[in-house]
Amino acid sequence: MAARVSTSGAALLASLAALSLLTLTYGQIALPLADTVGALTGTQSSDLARQIVLEIRLPRVAAAIIAGAALGMAGVLMQALFRNPVADAWSLGLLAGGQLGVALTVTAAAFAGPAAVSFLTFFEGPSITLAAAAGVAVAAFAMLALGRRVGAITLLVIGLMLGFTSQGLTSVLLHFAARAGGRVYGGWRDASFAGVAPSALAWLSLPILIGACVAIATAKPLSSLLLGETYARSLGVKVTSLRHAVLAATVLLVAPVVAFCGPVSFVGLIAPHFARALAGTARILPLLPLAALGGALLALAGDAIVHAPWEQHFLHLNAILAIVGAPVVILILIFSPAVRQWR
Amino acid sequence: MLDLQSLAVGYRNTRGVVLSGIDLAAAPGDFICILGRNGSGKSTLMRTIAALQTSLDGAVLLDGEDVASMRPATRARRIAVVLTERQFNPGLRVEDVIALARQPFTGWQGGLADKDRAAIADAVAVAGVGPFLRRYFSDISDGERQRVMIARALAQTPRLMVLDEITAFLDLPSRVEIMALLRSQARQKGQVVLLSSHDLDLSLQLADSVWLLDGGGGFSVGTPEELSQSGHVGQAFDNEAIRFSPSQGRFEISSSASANT
Repeated sequence: MAARVSTSGAALLASLAALSLLTLTYGQIALPLADTVGALTGTQSSDLARQIVLEIRLPRVAAAIIAGAALGMAGVLMQALFRNPVADAWSLGLLAGGQLGVALTVTAAAFAGPAAVSFLTFFEGPSITLAAAAGVAVAAFAMLALGRRVGAITLLVIGLMLGFTSQGLTSVLLHFAARAGGRVYGGWRDASFAGVAPSALAWLSLPILIGACVAIATAKPLSSLLLGETYARSLGVKVTSLRHAVLAATVLLVAPVVAFCGPVSFVGLIAPHFARALAGTARILPLLPLAALGGALLALAGDAIVHAPWEQHFLHLNAILAIVGAPVVILILIFSPAVRQWR
Repeated sequence: MLDLQSLAVGYRNTRGVVLSGIDLAAAPGDFICILGRNGSGKSTLMRTIAALQTSLDGAVLLDGEDVASMRPATRARRIAVVLTERQFNPGLRVEDVIALARQPFTGWQGGLADKDRAAIADAVAVAGVGPFLRRYFSDISDGERQRVMIARALAQTPRLMVLDEITAFLDLPSRVEIMALLRSQARQKGQVVLLSSHDLDLSLQLADSVWLLDGGGGFSVGTPEELSQSGHVGQAFDNEAIRFSPSQGRFEISSSASANT
């Protein structure tokens, strides 16, 4: 099993590196591979090529990789915590909750006056991350509380419905915020990795790094929770504190993605299934790196298609992810023996 | 080895006290069946002994230590439970389920040492679950699943095994096999095995000792022969339709009920 995990991990890592390089070469201006590598290693003479690769494309590719990895790991945590094969930050409404948190904050600032808006703009990184974290945390706790009362499928439907509600509210709020003079974070309502400024990468990755550490620390007891709460307790797991730790990790992983990249769908839902298939186990610890790499690869692939040299820019990231992701979810639900009892 | 000292079990809500004043002891190697009708408090008693719920009064001692105040990790090394509770577990394979039994013994990563692998291999062989180790846990039959959970409990190498209604999903040959297996494990490993069951015939034939709950908060303890002869089994289970016959050691359908059919 350990061999399977490291082999798959190496293969995923290699694919990710190759796809990253490929993505860096194309866009509105195509760059030869040699120039791209040269720009990355600092041996390239052309300033234009360096600027395009390092300042425009690299932040986008890095954002896709970091966000995809975070969503993949969060998916593993949530599917185990809810014992639900279609749970993830998107399907249970955490991403929409985070968006609503940001929208509320922006609107409040807009109505509070220009000083509040400029404060928010100046501390954009931390403030929208915090606002998103508040929204994600509220949604996550609500789902966890509900998850103990209703069945897995009901919870999923409620999560999707609350997601739609939050998205509607977000749209209305941002309209008022714009009228009241608040700056609306551009291009953010649709998922995209292109809006992440190089300076924002630190704010994106720092909480995710901490979240990943918490996830790794909870991996062992979370594996026991797969058997159900009573069995987990009989194996010495303190279930309540475990739940809180896993939720904290999820919020840390998901909130920065919402704040900087918007509601990236399907990545967190599918990556854990690939990770389980590759690892041949449902133990959490080996799944985390595989789901991170798989999520990163999926997100980057979506981004690569969006930014392929089309004649005009017409594709949205979530459109690509939905076209590919939704049928995959359907196939998993119909054919995978891993979820047979759940059907 | 297992001592219940003036134990009272139940709930701190309207259900209140289910059983109280329980003073019992079990020695290493004992295979004990807890019998009683639905709602007589079997599960409550077993959950309290395994410290899955708090006692209302008294104490459960295992090797002289209070089970309720043990550290959870320590308790998990000494007590294994098997329940009928069914949960959905996405992607969990049979081998994962059994390996989880070793978590109380492993480091923070949950990596298995040779000792852990040996315990798992032994449990797999004893419970006969080798053929479906790679199958998904949610994709095997109820009977197979119950065997896997027993293998998991064996792999935990506990001092005390608490098994609640585990034979409910099994056919008669499997029930006999599982109960005989648990009895010989208790003997060989010097464990105490507590098993609750509806299955009177088998329990009375196999148990070293029976804890019989009468459903009204009373209980009696003894060997199967003692309880049958004294009429306690009859008191706990008889109704209009069936009657326990001490002389035959089994139930008979009473004549009025058979006349109606």
